[in-house]
Amino acid sequence: MNEGKISQITGAVLDVKFGSDKLPNLYNAIEIPFNDGKIVAEVMQHLGNDTVRCVAMSSTDGLQRGMKAIDTGAPISAPVGEEVLGRVFNILGEAIDEKGEVKSAEKWPIHREAPKFVDQKPVAEMFETGIKVIDLLAPYAKGGKIGLFGGAGVGKTVLIQELISSIANEHGGYSVFTGVGERSREGNDLINEMAESGVINKTALVFGQMNEPPGARMRVALTGLTMAEYFRDVKHQDVLFFVDNIFRFIQAGSEVSTLLGRIPSAVGYQPTLTTDVGALQERITSTKNGSITSIQAVYVPADDYTDPAPATTFAHLDAVTALSRSIAELGIYPAVDPLESNSRIMDPAIVGEEHYYVARKVQEILQKYKELQDIIAILGMDELSDEDKKIVYRARKIQKFLSQPFFVGEQFTGIPGKYVPVSETIRGFKEIIEGNMDNYPEDAFFMVGTIDEVIEKAKTME
Amino acid sequence: MLIKPEEISDIIRKKIDGYDSKMKIDEVGHVIESGDGVVKIFGLKNCMANELIDFGNGIYGMAMNLEEESVGCVLFGGEKEVKEGTIAKRTGKPVSIGVSDEIIGRVVNPLGEVLDGKEPYKVDKYRDVEFLAPSVMIRKSVDTPLQTGILAIDSMIPIGRGQRELIIGDRQTGKTAIAIDTIINQKGQDVICIYVAIGQKSSSVAGVVNTLKKHGAMDYTIVVSSTASDSAPIQFLAPYAGSAIAEYFMYEQGKDVLIVYDDLSKHAQSYRAMSLLLRRSPGREAYPGDVFYLHSRLLERAAKLDDEHGGGSITALPIIETLAGDVSAYVPTNVISITDGQIYLESELFFGGQRPAVNAGLSVSRVGGAAQIKAMKKLSGRIRIDLAQYRELASFAQFGSDLDKSTQDKLIQGERILELIKQPQYQTIPVERQVVMLYAAVNGYLSDIENSKVKEFNKGLIEYVQEKHQNLLNEIKTKKDLTKEIEEEIKESINEYKRIFSL
Repeated sequence: MNEGKISQITGAVLDVKFGSDKLPNLYNAIEIPFNDGKIVAEVMQHLGNDTVRCVAMSSTDGLQRGMKAIDTGAPISAPVGEEVLGRVFNILGEAIDEKGEVKSAEKWPIHREAPKFVDQKPVAEMFETGIKVIDLLAPYAKGGKIGLFGGAGVGKTVLIQELISSIANEHGGYSVFTGVGERSREGNDLINEMAESGVINKTALVFGQMNEPPGARMRVALTGLTMAEYFRDVKHQDVLFFVDNIFRFIQAGSEVSTLLGRIPSAVGYQPTLTTDVGALQERITSTKNGSITSIQAVYVPADDYTDPAPATTFAHLDAVTALSRSIAELGIYPAVDPLESNSRIMDPAIVGEEHYYVARKVQEILQKYKELQDIIAILGMDELSDEDKKIVYRARKIQKFLSQPFFVGEQFTGIPGKYVPVSETIRGFKEIIEGNMDNYPEDAFFMVGTIDEVIEKAKTME
Repeated sequence: MLIKPEEISDIIRKKIDGYDSKMKIDEVGHVIESGDGVVKIFGLKNCMANELIDFGNGIYGMAMNLEEESVGCVLFGGEKEVKEGTIAKRTGKPVSIGVSDEIIGRVVNPLGEVLDGKEPYKVDKYRDVEFLAPSVMIRKSVDTPLQTGILAIDSMIPIGRGQRELIIGDRQTGKTAIAIDTIINQKGQDVICIYVAIGQKSSSVAGVVNTLKKHGAMDYTIVVSSTASDSAPIQFLAPYAGSAIAEYFMYEQGKDVLIVYDDLSKHAQSYRAMSLLLRRSPGREAYPGDVFYLHSRLLERAAKLDDEHGGGSITALPIIETLAGDVSAYVPTNVISITDGQIYLESELFFGGQRPAVNAGLSVSRVGGAAQIKAMKKLSGRIRIDLAQYRELASFAQFGSDLDKSTQDKLIQGERILELIKQPQYQTIPVERQVVMLYAAVNGYLSDIENSKVKEFNKGLIEYVQEKHQNLLNEIKTKKDLTKEIEEEIKESINEYKRIFSL
């Protein structure tokens, strides 16, 4: 057994000195026996002088210099296979749901290569979510990578939970959910909800929440991803991979970066930001063997989209759903920004001519309304031409119709959730832009499912 | 050669002394650098990460960096007395605070020293100041309300036991007032309250303690105080110490605890000072990279435990002070992304006479709805929507476009509700009265009463109900639901009172 001794401790970062010529490899897991248990750390750097610098995966409080540290000879490994379904794990791949150990035949190291160029499979098929604003304006692709961007408190987690409840239920295949640096309470609520709907039996959950030290938050996404990769590569499945929140992975990296002795880059982030994100994102991809459709929440710090973390993430995604505070303030949920969200498959060849036409027309009207808002603010509605007035009223109806009651939001709004098929969505918006709905009151469009419900609601309002 | 026994014993004694000092280097060290409250110690080989270090004379510090040959340590006061050569001893324990039931009603500093001039409290046990938050698996969903007694909050931004709800706003917008009212309203609710002052003026803290005493709230409240003149590490420590006290009651007695952190902006600043002095590199707004973890590990400790673990809870009300209403600055967005919602206070509203100055549009509670009593839940959905429509129309209708009847009605309804939720400080309202008042407002009973008389009407209404329908309030309190009978009776009493009122 290869044993070393701790020589330095600063926060989550440890230096360990080994015997000469016995240095552990980079990314190897190091175990430190402590208080009947163990603390696991990962080797990040070779410092010279037979010393390695590691990041601990749990709190280092109470550790002393001179304690022994054992090289396990392998990276942190996660159990894979069907045994992980219905279970809850931590970063180390240990079950934390008190249902006993997971007896999986295989364990895979969490650090793996991204699929090769020849195995890549481009995306070309739409994936229905039942959420009007997403299906219409920024449709998701099967096997694609989707980012939900938003600042604090605009509804990323609610949206991702709605997607879990609607598409994971419909999907039928396996799902992996990874909670990265988010609220422990939400993790608990999610497990309960999944258990209730039964979806948990086809889902593996991995948590490294915000109560855990940076090491765990920095690596937990890899643990979840490894489980998803197994289903893709070995079982040839189409897997759903949910991450809430991928920004926390970058954030955790920046927390330990300076402790590792790296010089900070822009806004204090780690100099390795782009390669860190690239190494993770390139693994989340669809191959000829199977697909991973990933939905990743991306927190936007200080509502600043030019922050290096969200800015770097953008490039890796096939579809972007941007959530905006100004829309949330209007009380419109989901607070998706119809002009900022986009998708690579928003192409008539993939979604069809009609879908494309309606979507672009809707954006055009909203854009025009946005421009007119300044004029209205200064001169008032009455000064607009009749044509412009019509646009304003239609735009306001569209805005309202983009809201939708959620299944997971029922306890807040008291309105039962609605799943709207994409064909209904297109029909509804087409009616509005063609002026067939001009005589209905605005409020009838708020928090409903299909356009037929608008007509129903308008009747009750009279 | 003559051998003098004295010489030999001398040599032996010296050898033994030397041996001793070599032993001691593991347990004792001496200061080699000191300045700005940060010291470097040579020795202390066995020192643990985050251990409490004793410098003598009642001066303590905390080991932050364990380097190969030295230990980096921050001081909890006594910066002037600790100088090069000062002896530092291990205490063998992580930084911790003594707790017992006797701490209730006391004012202490983050190290557990009493500040109220009375005898020290008896200590039953020590709890670590840094403690890992409960994991995903031992928690339970929030399901019991924590009534603040503030109508605007209990109806629209409800708080449940085990929730973390941020109070955010510029200075002088009534942030502390909301927290203090909430503490006062816990009287008789079997909730232990902890008020943590971080970097506050001493006189403000004294003011808070006086107010709590005056309202009989000190009987169930603990004040953990670090004032502006305390060193940065003491201010840094205060919320963790408060949390450790709260955990004593939650884990060991299964109790419900409410903890107020006033305020975390100053906490972040004190941590920034410490980090920069320890030469950790700065990031956004010069805060260190782990400023998120600073607050996330603190606020995650507030939780609702499942029944197997005693079912206790810690409800946290952190306070953040913004500058010029900028909620999208770094620390505010960090804390917003940690908490389960925020109560947003605005200075425009405050000075416009709308007090508490809650901006109902920007304020949310992500879990509280599940914890509201049914009666309240039925009414609160409507009030949110009414207000949202009012806000939207108010800005749209400003330009003198002709208003149709339905628009006018909505504007009036919004104005009445805004008038209804005005509430003076220290006058909390029990939930059953809130239900009656809300019922009247939501169902349009106020629409023909002038705005200036809404307050008078509500006051009279409650008095009338207490007098003529004594049972009604009790019924609401025990049944917690708007049953048909209760609803009928509320309607009846409102109609009766309206007749009297209009006379």
